[in-house]
Amino acid sequence: MASIKIKYTKTERARQKKILKVSERMLPLFEAMEKSLMSTILTIAEKIDEIRERIEKNKQAAESWIAVMGDDWVNIEEFISVNEVITRPMDVAGIRLQQFDHVDFNELPVHDDTPLWVDDALELMREQLQLLAEIKTLEVQIELLEEELLDVRARVKLFENRRIPNAKMAIRKIGQKLQDDERLTIATAKVMKTTVNNR
Amino acid sequence: MLSEVYLMCSLPSLSFGQSPPITFEEFNDMARSQLSAKQYRMLEQMSMQEMGEEGRKPRLKSVKDMLEGLKKDLMEIREARAVRRQPKPEQLPESVLEKNPLDRELQILLWQWEKLDAMVVGKNFTLADVIVYKMKLQLLFRIQSFKPERGEAVMASVFKPSKKKEE
Repeated sequence: MASIKIKYTKTERARQKKILKVSERMLPLFEAMEKSLMSTILTIAEKIDEIRERIEKNKQAAESWIAVMGDDWVNIEEFISVNEVITRPMDVAGIRLQQFDHVDFNELPVHDDTPLWVDDALELMREQLQLLAEIKTLEVQIELLEEELLDVRARVKLFENRRIPNAKMAIRKIGQKLQDDERLTIATAKVMKTTVNNR
Repeated sequence: MLSEVYLMCSLPSLSFGQSPPITFEEFNDMARSQLSAKQYRMLEQMSMQEMGEEGRKPRLKSVKDMLEGLKKDLMEIREARAVRRQPKPEQLPESVLEKNPLDRELQILLWQWEKLDAMVVGKNFTLADVIVYKMKLQLLFRIQSFKPERGEAVMASVFKPSKKKEE
């Protein structure tokens, strides 16, 4: 801070005042953005927890019959797999994010003689895969929002610790210097006048 | 006839739900040593699993009828589910509708087991008896594969691809 070179001019003082004005106007905006990002991240994290709970509930509900999925005669993996996770863009706190829409599955048709448990297993897997894909999308959202939050926090610190104090200090120093200069000029003028009069 | 009698007497008895008392290799070795080449070839082609597959023609009419009946009932249950109505299976006991998927499958297997038993009433020590024995052994091995840890591993393997980073 101390090493900053200041031009002790009225123009520079006006420039520093402008910087201070803009900075003091921008700081609350960045602080609000920081709060908004933090709250959005928390909301998304809570949503992830809720989805995890649903996944756990589904698992618990299937616990009593999950053994049948070990059926030697059926390879359930052939019946279902994720083709694509469909998302749509949305803006959150000014950041472009992808919101989960649905999962596009690759599914083999269930034949008439396919064991009946396959239907239940596919229903469970569809639900679980959708929920897992949603979590993945939300985690990516959090990653992006956290990157932005870091950036915003850096800006807040920059304004709070550098720009505003620097501008204030510069304005004060320039003011003092200009006052000193003015006093010196007046004093010099008075001394000059007295000397001329005495002659 | 004598060979079937000897074979059937040498094989351990099977009961529904028990662990298979004999491996398929042991069963095949015993059958190969006791049956004629023609009988063994026929026995080899008999498989509950493959008979159930589309386009396969079961050689035993009674087995074919059983599998057709099962297929019709499965179709009926699926259709009823699709339109949310109470299914009315013709062959399967209605109790299977109330069960969870594992219990339901076990009920269906029990039904198949009992049907297989009924097929060989009065046909003791015949080739049909040997074939039914093999099918029941297959059912026991299938039931044995219903293990929670296996099911969980299957579930995990299905979920694995979703962990890939989506673009």
